[in-house]
Amino acid sequence: MLENNIFIILSLFLVGGSLGMILFKETIFSAFSFLVAMLALAGEFALLNNSFLFMAQIMVSVGAVVVLGLMVIITLNKQDKNLPNEEHKFLWIIFSTILVLPFSLLLYKALSSLHLSFEETKEGYGTLKMVGETLFSRWVLPFEAVSVLLLSAMVGAITIARKDDYSKKEEK
Amino acid sequence: MMSTASIVIALLSFALGALLALLMIPILVWLERRGAGLIQDRLGPNRTNIGGFRLGGVVQSFADVVKLLLKEEYYPNHIKKGRGLLMFAPIITFVSALLAFMVIPFADNIIIDGESLAVQPLPIDYGVLWYLSIGSIGVIGMFFGGWLSHNKYSLLGASRAGSMMIGYELPLGLSVLSLVLTYNSIGFNDMVHWQSQTLFGFLPAWGMIVQPLAGIILIISLFAETNRAPFSVAEGESEIVAGFFTEFTAMKFALYFMGEYVAMNTASAVIITMLFGGYQLPWVDTELLLSNFNNFAFSLMLVIPIFVFIIIKWMKKNNRVRPTVSSDGGRAFETKVLTIALTTMTILVEVILIVLVLFPSDLGSSITVMLFQIATFVVKLMMFNIFFILVRWTLPRFRYDQVQHLGWYYLLPLSIFNIFVTAIVIVIVGV
Repeated sequence: MLENNIFIILSLFLVGGSLGMILFKETIFSAFSFLVAMLALAGEFALLNNSFLFMAQIMVSVGAVVVLGLMVIITLNKQDKNLPNEEHKFLWIIFSTILVLPFSLLLYKALSSLHLSFEETKEGYGTLKMVGETLFSRWVLPFEAVSVLLLSAMVGAITIARKDDYSKKEEK
Repeated sequence: MMSTASIVIALLSFALGALLALLMIPILVWLERRGAGLIQDRLGPNRTNIGGFRLGGVVQSFADVVKLLLKEEYYPNHIKKGRGLLMFAPIITFVSALLAFMVIPFADNIIIDGESLAVQPLPIDYGVLWYLSIGSIGVIGMFFGGWLSHNKYSLLGASRAGSMMIGYELPLGLSVLSLVLTYNSIGFNDMVHWQSQTLFGFLPAWGMIVQPLAGIILIISLFAETNRAPFSVAEGESEIVAGFFTEFTAMKFALYFMGEYVAMNTASAVIITMLFGGYQLPWVDTELLLSNFNNFAFSLMLVIPIFVFIIIKWMKKNNRVRPTVSSDGGRAFETKVLTIALTTMTILVEVILIVLVLFPSDLGSSITVMLFQIATFVVKLMMFNIFFILVRWTLPRFRYDQVQHLGWYYLLPLSIFNIFVTAIVIVIVGV
């Protein structure tokens, strides 16, 4: 009963945060709504007793994504008058909602019957220790492949961002 | 179903965590001002009193709190939108610092009726991850405060705070990683257990001795994370007024201010738990204390009166005014009352210890050991807080580019190097 109530409150925060993220005009309020949504999602994971997803959610989504997003907002320093004038914003939102509605219904149907095709979780499922052991025993090759992929993506991003030629700079 | 003992211990450790974090703020503010006074060859606040009771001047901090509470809530006129969020920003910083403190173990797991109970406000076994993730939320409050002030200085302060946080989060995380490799655990309590063994039979296996490089990087990064001098470029009052809290007044300002002290307290707690043996004294772990309880109690009975005697002696010598001043402002009275209180407490503790030795019980001895470990923890915590204060008033503030340079060019490569060395040693030794 208590779990249900907490779930409903967290879901309200999650839905409200997501709506605020797209509805607010000022970037900083969108960022705050995003923060609220991410924290609420972390709370949902904690409610499932899934400590790994809870910690990962806070660490990656809040500690990295939101902080870096805010860093970008502050660095760009867009003033209110520079923000785009979004005419018919609500019309667009209603239109796109109707457009994705059938897909959402399909998704809901599929997800609500998904739990029938899985076994019940064992004791200790989703804890940090279990996830770590599985990751480094059964999935160690994909895990390493993903880390190499991320590394190459990082090197690529740095190369694209740094277009300036060093030899020219030294001449100056 | 939870037993009564587990509920009592959970509530007590939660209360202890809240007290240690919140009550430490006025003491730290006072210590900071007295420490600054000591270094700058003056006295610092020492006269505020309630009916003659000065307690060395701590009362000043409570006067400050009253003043900040009664101050007018002022919003600059140019802030049109987002006043609610402006008000909320310091709360984010304060609460995240407070929550990060809640995973520190204050004593070893206490065993009551065969049940092992953690003396830790949040009894989770992945405390390091919790500290790293919750601790990084604090900067979000600084971002909101800096942006919503609509002010160039605040904006600069917030972006400095953010980029410094990003720059030092990496060496912090990587140095923690090499400590995690050494201790083979991500729980703070397991780390303290590992550190209570000895190296080569005589050195305490403290993190600082086993992993000196990771320890130094961890301490430096934590100094940067708390935004204190010499890393206080986010405030930098000689360059950008007061950084992200330029427009903040009264209690809004006080929340940022107190958040800084809570963060410093948390950083000290993390340093002593990960590097300096936590709540344990060197060479003396919990099992040893419990199995030799009588010896432990006798040595406590000897040490406590000597310690109290020195404190009383010191108080009698120092708690007085200059001979040229006619009225002593109730200082003799304060000394008298405190002497009586301290003596009574000592006698009470002695009596309790004698009773525990004469009528031995498992519960009594484990509670005594728990209280002793909490006291050890608090003493170590205070020592590290004083270290933080001394560093702040000794070193000048680094320039902003120097701070970034230190983080990216020295600490980051060094911490990656340290992980490699640690991993190789672990593979060779086969721990």
